[in-house]
Order: sequence, then structure tokens, then C-alpha cells
Amino acid sequence: MNYAVLWVRDFALHALRRSDPALAGRPVALIAGEGRRAVVTEAAPEAAGVAPGLAATLAMARCPGIVLRPRDPDAEVEANRLLLAAAFTLAPRVEFTGPGCCTVDLQGADPARTEAGMRLRAAELARAGLPARIGAAATPLLAAYAARGAEPVRLVADAHAFLAPLPLAVAEPAPAQAEILRGWGIRTLGQLTALPKAEVGRRLGTDGAALWERAAGEAIRVLRLVAPPTTFIAEWDYDPPVESVEPLLFRLRRYAERLALELRAAGAVAEKLTLRLFLEDETEHGREFRLPEPGAEVDLWLRVLLAHLETVRTGARVTGVRLAATPARPPQKQDGLFDTGLRDPAAFWENLARLGALVGDDRVGTPAPRDTHRPDAFALGKPAETVPAPEPPPVHPPRGPVLRRFRPPWPARVVCAAERPVQLDSEPACGAVRAAAGPWRSSGDWWKPEGWTVETWHVELAGGGLYQLARTADGWSVEGMLD
Amino acid sequence: MPRGPATLAALRSLLAARFPEKTRRTGGGPATGVAAVDEALGGGLPAGRLTELVAAPPAGGAQLVLAGLLAATRGARQRLALVDGADGFAPDAVPADHLRHLVWVRCRGAEEAFAAGDLLVRDGNYAAVVLDLRGLAARALRRRPATAWYRLQRAAEGGAAAVLVLTPVALVPAVPRRLALPAPLTLADGRAPRADLAAALAVELERGTAAAAEELAG
Repeated sequence: MNYAVLWVRDFALHALRRSDPALAGRPVALIAGEGRRAVVTEAAPEAAGVAPGLAATLAMARCPGIVLRPRDPDAEVEANRLLLAAAFTLAPRVEFTGPGCCTVDLQGADPARTEAGMRLRAAELARAGLPARIGAAATPLLAAYAARGAEPVRLVADAHAFLAPLPLAVAEPAPAQAEILRGWGIRTLGQLTALPKAEVGRRLGTDGAALWERAAGEAIRVLRLVAPPTTFIAEWDYDPPVESVEPLLFRLRRYAERLALELRAAGAVAEKLTLRLFLEDETEHGREFRLPEPGAEVDLWLRVLLAHLETVRTGARVTGVRLAATPARPPQKQDGLFDTGLRDPAAFWENLARLGALVGDDRVGTPAPRDTHRPDAFALGKPAETVPAPEPPPVHPPRGPVLRRFRPPWPARVVCAAERPVQLDSEPACGAVRAAAGPWRSSGDWWKPEGWTVETWHVELAGGGLYQLARTADGWSVEGMLD
Repeated sequence: MPRGPATLAALRSLLAARFPEKTRRTGGGPATGVAAVDEALGGGLPAGRLTELVAAPPAGGAQLVLAGLLAATRGARQRLALVDGADGFAPDAVPADHLRHLVWVRCRGAEEAFAAGDLLVRDGNYAAVVLDLRGLAARALRRRPATAWYRLQRAAEGGAAAVLVLTPVALVPAVPRRLALPAPLTLADGRAPRADLAAALAVELERGTAAAAEELAG
């Protein structure tokens, strides 16, 4: 099992269907030519009675409601890139054999892991709308034969037993050769290879010998290798432009599937996604998403993108989209024995991303006080993956009620007597001051333009309620409630 | 036909057999560190349930309960989420070490707070989720459809997080436990150690009984 071939039957049709959500489940056929000369080249199973070679007009008569479309070169390029990305996850030496067909050099790979990988890739490609068949055998040609009969993966260990019952057409004889061989009574590859190669060559010439080699699956060739992608970018256009999220999401998923496979083939994950929407008025909307947990999971990417797209309002319709993934090495970590980690890390980071989209990235996180005495100075950081052990209790335990701030502070009018507040008048609270404590004066950053000075008071109102007042150069304000 | 307690017991067994998920006893959630609250709730906030704490101004102590919960969950190395409807939490008012397990969501109103609460209650990584609606207009909060609360309750039932809702007026329909803070704090309290204040805080149980709360906490 030295080579594997990934092959997609009716490739152009599948490429078209996976690019257009409107074609799902409908009878579709590809046509070539124009007008009355148009003929069907590939037909979906739903198009009953329609087969390649049928005139388009006949196809419409036989299958009412059939959708006839020409090939979509852009969709085929994208489908080929997806197939190549899947091939690169199996081994780094890959040949782009033709549209919908890749050959992978598996020499040196672990057979057990490779077989599991092939089954996984076949399932992934099927989910991505590209049902590939994968064959693995000793030669590229044999692997290609195996791929054509795979459901969806076939490994060929005994080449002779595999080839013997296959029809002669598999070896693609020239029409003249096929006619002669039919006259000899030869119908299968096994019957042809039962004849001596030299005798076949003597009667049918070098072409006959080549046919015999193809029938024996012996044809060895050097693969024309392609380089794996080094950038992870998908870009596509909409014609006509779109104005809702659904069509965006459909294609985003399709292209994200390819990018994720390319990243995995490169042994990388995405740490950042960049989305650009090109608009009809020739402006663009761009946004970078730093993934809370680097990964190559399409569903996670889409949830992050969707959370943002649901909040986006553009001034014009979307004519094109560009999605780029910034690669990074997969995170490696080993949890401590006594660490209390996350029960469900994916849900944790995903929900944080959604919260960021909901309230703003700068309004979610774990607060940490800044190294200053300035009131209400803190930074919001990324929550820790594990909750560390608590520190010993502070030498001076906290005293008094806990402040709940009003942001922004409420402007207040304060009447003082003997330099102490006696009457408070503001939106959240007003009334006579029963008792007041203070002032506590603090200042800082006096050497900077943003220097600050504040005088703080705690007051208890006659009607009940404890409030913290601040007096600055701008006047009095109610900073919060002591609760 | 059995009558009285026998009928009730039979009904309970029938419900438990038919709806094991709905009638399961949830495990005890985190303690708040405030003696009166923990006593009223039978040991701590019930996991998988909503608990409402009404702090109608000028009644005080809700922030004290929140600080106690921060300290208690930090001591147990659990995670706490605070959905801050009016963005009133002051990180500089509690010890810095009591913030390291906290995820703080600074909302700009009830809409954001409910959406954030809905996400966090379902998350599964938090021991407690605090939905602080104080500071928001009571009138706007009353206009919230009851289905928003039922949705939150259903979401909480499926998870392990205890959900504490801090409200300026009684709001949550059909909440299993509702506590109220009856008295305002005074300036004299400003000099007392916070632990003493928490120990002396008075709380009224407006809905549910202590015995039922203990049973609920399992």
C-alpha cells in the first residue's frame, strides 16, 4: 500500500452543488454547449431518466423541474483545493492528478494510522459536500482503479485477485484494441493478463503491451508533486450581491472547511481569523477575531464569526468576502495535579467570545486592580484556564460595607456646614445628611497632564442609605452606594 | 382511596418516577459566607436553581453578600460569573485575590444582562452565576416577559451552577427561594470588619421555607 488516490465521481457537479445552497436536494445536471446543441455532461441521482449525452431539451422533458447549469470553474478550483488539503493530511507528497483526483505517496507511512486517516478524511469530505472515494494500493494506477470501486475506502493487498474480475474498459483500451480483444473473447483484465505480455505486444504492438501493463496495474510513474499551501486564505465573490447573513454563512462554512483542513495538514491551528466584507459601494468592512483558544474546529470558528455577523449592519450589499486564518503552533500544556481547570474549555472560550460580541471585548474578563491609588482603576484580562490556590488572608482584613459604583458618577449638589456635607441633592439620592465620615484626600500622577486629586466622603442620609461622595476640581459627585 | 399525607407521598413518588430529571435533588451550591443567607438557604445557594435576593434601596448588604460569595468561591477554587446589569461592581472594593476566579460581564442594560446570563448559566464551568439587576429601572425590569425568567430557570435546571439574582424589587416569578434585605446599613458599620458585618446582616426569607431549602440543597 504505497499510494492512495482520492477521486470524486461527477466532480464538476459536486463542486457546483456544494457552492450553491439552492441546489441542495434538487435534480441538477451539468450541460455543455449552447442552445439546442447543449447536452448533459453530468447528472445528479435526483434527475431521474437523465444521463450524460442526453440533449438538454430532452432532459427537461424527462425530468420536469430539473436545474440545468454550466460548469462553475471557481467552484471547481475551490473543490480541488479542498481535495488537495485532504490529501496533504495523509502524507506530504501529493500529486494533483486532475480535476477531482489526487494521488498521495504513502511510502513510509504507518498503514494502520493511514487507513484510519483515510476513512476520517472520506467522512469529512462527504460532510463538506465532496464525496470522495479513496483507494490505496502498491502503484498509483492500481490505487486509481481501487478508488473507482471504493465505498468510500478500499485497500488492495492482492493486486491479482483485485484486477482479475474487473472489466476490460477499466484499462481504457483504444476502440480498435477493444474490438480486437472482444474478437478474442477477452472481457476482463484477468483474461488479458493471463496471456503472455510479449505475445500481446507482438500482435498489438507497443500500445498493446502498454495496455497489458495497465491491465496488470504495473505501470509505475513519477508523481508530479505539488507544494502544500503556506498561506491560509479564501476569497470569493457574490454575483448578485447578498444582503443577509445566511448566504454568507453557507459559503463561510465551505471555505472554512478547506482552510481548517489545510491548517491541519500543515500541523498548525488558527490563532486569529480575519474577515473582510467587500461592499457594493466599494467600501469594505473588516474585523480580526483573536480566537480565545487556538484551534482548527470549523464549528468554533463559525460561532465566533456568526456572533459578530449578527451585529453587523452595512450600508451596502456584500459583493465579496475574504477569510484568512493566521496559523500558529497547536497549544501544548500539561495541567497540574491539583489545578482546578475548566470542565468544558470549548464552551468556556466560545461563550466568552459570544459575550465579547454581545457587550464588547473590552467589557468581559477577569478584573485586576492597577498599581495606583486612583479610584476605579482596574484592567480586564483574559480569565485564567485554572483557578490558582488562594493566597493567605490579608494582614488587614477589609472593613466596612462594599462600594457599588455608579458609572459614570452622578453629579451632585452638596451643601456643607463647617466644611462637612449636611445636604445632598442628586439623581440617585437626596436628603439631609445624618452623619458623614471623611474627608479622605488622595492624588496622583501630578507629574503628568492627567494628574488627579480627589476628596472622598461617606455620608449616611436621614432617610437611610450610605453613599460615597467625591469632590474634584469639577465639583461634587455621588460615586456609588456603600452596600 | 388514600387521603392526606399518604396521597401527597404517592403523588411525589409518581412525579419522581415520571420526571426524574425535574424532581432530582440538586447538590448544595457554594455558601455565600453571610450567615443569615446561608442559614435561610439551608447551607448555601442551591445548585441548578435560581435564588432571588431583593435589595430595595436604601436597604443594604447585597454587595456584602456578593463579596462573601466571591471569597467563598475563591476559597473553594471555583469559578464565579458576575453579570453586572448596570456596571456597578467595584473591583477595588474587594481584595485583589478574590477576583482571580471571577468573570465579570459589564452590561449596559437589561437586554444585555439577560442575554449574557442565558449564555453563562448554560456554560457548565461556573459554580455560581450572579445576575445583578440593581441599578436598572424597576419599571423596565417589570416589563420583561415572564418567559425570560422561565427560560433562565429551565437553563439553570440543566446545569450545576447556582444562580443568584440581585434585584431592586421582587421580580422573578415562581422563584423557589426569595430573600430580602430589610434594613439599610449605617455609617457606624463603616468601621466594622467586613466579616462581622456579614455575620450581623439580617435577611428575611420571603418565599420558601428553611426546611424546604435544606431539602433542596440535599
